Amino acid sequence: MIPYLVYFVQFHEDFRLPELEALSKLENVKIKFNREDYSNDLWTTGNNYPEVYKNLKNFDPEKYKPYETSTFKFMVETYNGTRTMKEQVDIINTFSFLPFKGSIDLKKPDNTFMVLEKYPSPTEQPCKIYMGKLVGVGNRQLVATYDLKKRKYLGTTSMDAELSLIMSNMALVHQNSLVLDPFVGTGSFLITCSHYGAFTLGSDIDGRQIRGKGKTSIKTNVEQYNMKKRVLGTIVSDMAHHPWRNNGELFDAIVTDPPYGVRAGAKKIGLNTDKYDAPPPTKRSVMNPRYPLTVPYEMEQVLMDLIEFASKYLVIGGRLVYWLPTNSEEYNINDIPQHPSLKLIANSEQSFGKWSRRLITMEKIKKYEDIRLTGEGNTGHYQFRQFYFYGKVY
Amino acid sequence: MRLITHNMLQCHVKGCNKDNFPLKLEEIEIEELEAEFNADFIKSMLNRLDWKALAQTTFSLGIAQLPEEMPEELNDEMLQQLHHILLEVDITSGRMVCQGCNHVYPIRDGIPNMLLTESEV
Ligand SMILES: C[S@@+](CC[C@H](N)C(=O)[O-])C[C@H]1O[C@@H](n2cnc3c(N)ncnc32)[C@H](O)[C@@H]1O
Repeated sequence: MIPYLVYFVQFHEDFRLPELEALSKLENVKIKFNREDYSNDLWTTGNNYPEVYKNLKNFDPEKYKPYETSTFKFMVETYNGTRTMKEQVDIINTFSFLPFKGSIDLKKPDNTFMVLEKYPSPTEQPCKIYMGKLVGVGNRQLVATYDLKKRKYLGTTSMDAELSLIMSNMALVHQNSLVLDPFVGTGSFLITCSHYGAFTLGSDIDGRQIRGKGKTSIKTNVEQYNMKKRVLGTIVSDMAHHPWRNNGELFDAIVTDPPYGVRAGAKKIGLNTDKYDAPPPTKRSVMNPRYPLTVPYEMEQVLMDLIEFASKYLVIGGRLVYWLPTNSEEYNINDIPQHPSLKLIANSEQSFGKWSRRLITMEKIKKYEDIRLTGEGNTGHYQFRQFYFYGKVY
Repeated sequence: MRLITHNMLQCHVKGCNKDNFPLKLEEIEIEELEAEFNADFIKSMLNRLDWKALAQTTFSLGIAQLPEEMPEELNDEMLQQLHHILLEVDITSGRMVCQGCNHVYPIRDGIPNMLLTESEV
């Protein structure tokens, strides 16, 4: 195995290794990593510069052959510390003993060499120095490309670009995946999944989310990013009573941010039997039906429907990626729903202090088995918790 | 709504489980889109399609005359045709009617409304 150094962005820390693993699966590259030192073709490491120089001088000259005449650039990066431009240049100059005879090209070098310094704290000296050849840089510019600020149609729950992109990777979205977001809202995930080449579908109980207000809608965003060929469309439907054909595995991935709580619009079609004096529904035409009466859609029911749906409609190996809010103090791994046909792949936390939301990734490993709970429709929370949260089958 | 989506939607009125698929398209307006031909995608969709329903729908719309059963081997011409059917035919308005219970699902601005009423769920 060749050692590489992956230098991550210092943000959404809990999401980075799961995403790296997802990417390695997507690209079919076997990786093993060492959590101690968290992409460079790593040539050498040292606790100080003299050690690094010594190691480099001891290399077989063959190692440098491919780079002798190519154009190059040298960079210094720091972790948990800083270097002025001048210091960086001084450091780079100490590497002039390397047998690189090609000219320096800062814009389009054939090769980029990199020194990464790790500091125990910003006021101390570096404790570790890594030197290697840069093999790739992340697609961080995508975060700017899909920045919500540039998006024409937005809602209060539009998901930020970076997390939407991460979700797409967690879902192993690739060229020609078929992806569904059953709580599509303003369509953030349609855009990022289609960016990676997926054909995407969305649904929402609230047609106003899809159609937007005034001049902008999901369609506007699809046009803005020129994705009409990949975003297949949206439908208005209730996840609790959905119309997807039930005789096949349809989707490669389900990527979604479910509604939790009335504020996020969690409701489903139903008659509230407590309300005796519900207004008599006004009949409209077949082509313009009135909005159905709705009842609250309890969080556990939302989750149960979503997971049940995924276990049925995903292809084997397909992934369900969704957000789950948890209470930071009371959080327990048993809060993560389980299902016999879905395997938990990752659980990454974004903390907001008292509460967090967790990005849950599950992979379908077994065909759907009808594991309906006892009774029709009348599934008490207790039973639900027992079944989904503790994975017991009755 | 593209026909690939239509091929995945059924009537889900409570108790309606006979002739609830495919939904019959009526009084529709079609817009032709242009999508790049992508044989890999079409191939990966084959075992997710309901072929009979697709043949029936495209025939009744006068778009294509597909064989009744999915051919064992699909040549390029057939893949091209499927590509056109699934991705380039966009239904912008009209309705889908269940042949079992007559429920009507309207389509407006290309977006089908699959909501039921509270008494149908
Ligand atoms: C958290 S938002 C999703 C936001 C979306 N990710 C975006 O980028 O705009 C949840 C969405 O679920 C929808 N919703 C609520 N209840 C639903 C139900 N029963 N079936 C389908 N969608 C529902 C809401 O209308 C809302 O748009």
